[in-house]
Amino acid sequence: MTMWLVVIAAGIATFAMRFSFIGLFGKVGIPVPLERALRYVAPAVLAAITLPAILAPDATFDPWNAFLPAALVGAVAAWRTKSIGAAIIVGLPALWLLQWLTANLG
Amino acid sequence: MGDRAVAATWQDGVRAVSPLILGVAPFGIIFGVTAIAADVPTIAAWASSFIVFAGASQIAIVELMNGNGTPIVAFITAVVINARHLMYSADMGRYTTGTPLRKKIAMGYLMTDQAYLVTAHRFPDPRDTPGFIGFYFGGALALWTTWQVTTTTGMILGAAIPESWSLEFAIPLTFMALLVLAVKDRPQLIAAATGGLVAVATIGLPYNLGLICGAIAGVLAGLAAEGTIA
Repeated sequence: MTMWLVVIAAGIATFAMRFSFIGLFGKVGIPVPLERALRYVAPAVLAAITLPAILAPDATFDPWNAFLPAALVGAVAAWRTKSIGAAIIVGLPALWLLQWLTANLG
Repeated sequence: MGDRAVAATWQDGVRAVSPLILGVAPFGIIFGVTAIAADVPTIAAWASSFIVFAGASQIAIVELMNGNGTPIVAFITAVVINARHLMYSADMGRYTTGTPLRKKIAMGYLMTDQAYLVTAHRFPDPRDTPGFIGFYFGGALALWTTWQVTTTTGMILGAAIPESWSLEFAIPLTFMALLVLAVKDRPQLIAAATGGLVAVATIGLPYNLGLICGAIAGVLAGLAAEGTIA
């Protein structure tokens, strides 16, 4: 049930943000301090999600796990192609290769 | 000369987003596969595709609600991830001064990174927008349909995909790719580095609060780096 509540609440909040200034007839612009802060929201949040997931995949710091190099390969692919799909298409096989190597060459 | 005299059509909107659909489709499949694998109610996860309709936040909700998640942290994280839509809304608001309310509501609901970006690119001047509404809805609805079809497909495929494929790794990969695309200058890089390092340092905090700590620290570091706050 809580999952439903989160989905519905997030849906309402997301719609409110999407509609906000469109609904204000374009008469009100976005306040400058908010606009400045918003520039940094995406980089900060995305890094705060990504770095723990690849540096500490099991909730403890482990810089020698296979996710880290595979994620860096994916990041280079994303940077070169400007595409999320490319990061997945390159990064996942990189992980499979690393997992295969550690399992067979250990 | 140029585009000024030629009104855009909804087909132009579809055409403008079609290369971006190549990036959205695998993301949608991955969301579906992940949602099935996670310990969350399947129908609620599926419904988030049209209730929330914002991929990165949907994945975050599934991740943070997996097992015994904390609803308030999942909600706040989704709001923070989607806060960039305030910027899109502020920009699009300059284009929609004469638009009827029900169309504005539909425009808001259908707002995505991709729909906003192609529309702002096609119409650089908000006072000169022949065919704006059709163009926007053509692109936005193509993206909406892609998202519904691919997330549903991912959920159907999900059960058939073996765990050894480590498909869940596609999620940090996706966020990593979004991160690479989001960082365009030095203050943004500093915001990302700070946010990431603080989140790693606070990984032991309960309820995934490290994520919120990292987000706040990152935004403050970005503002400090550009000199807005000392």
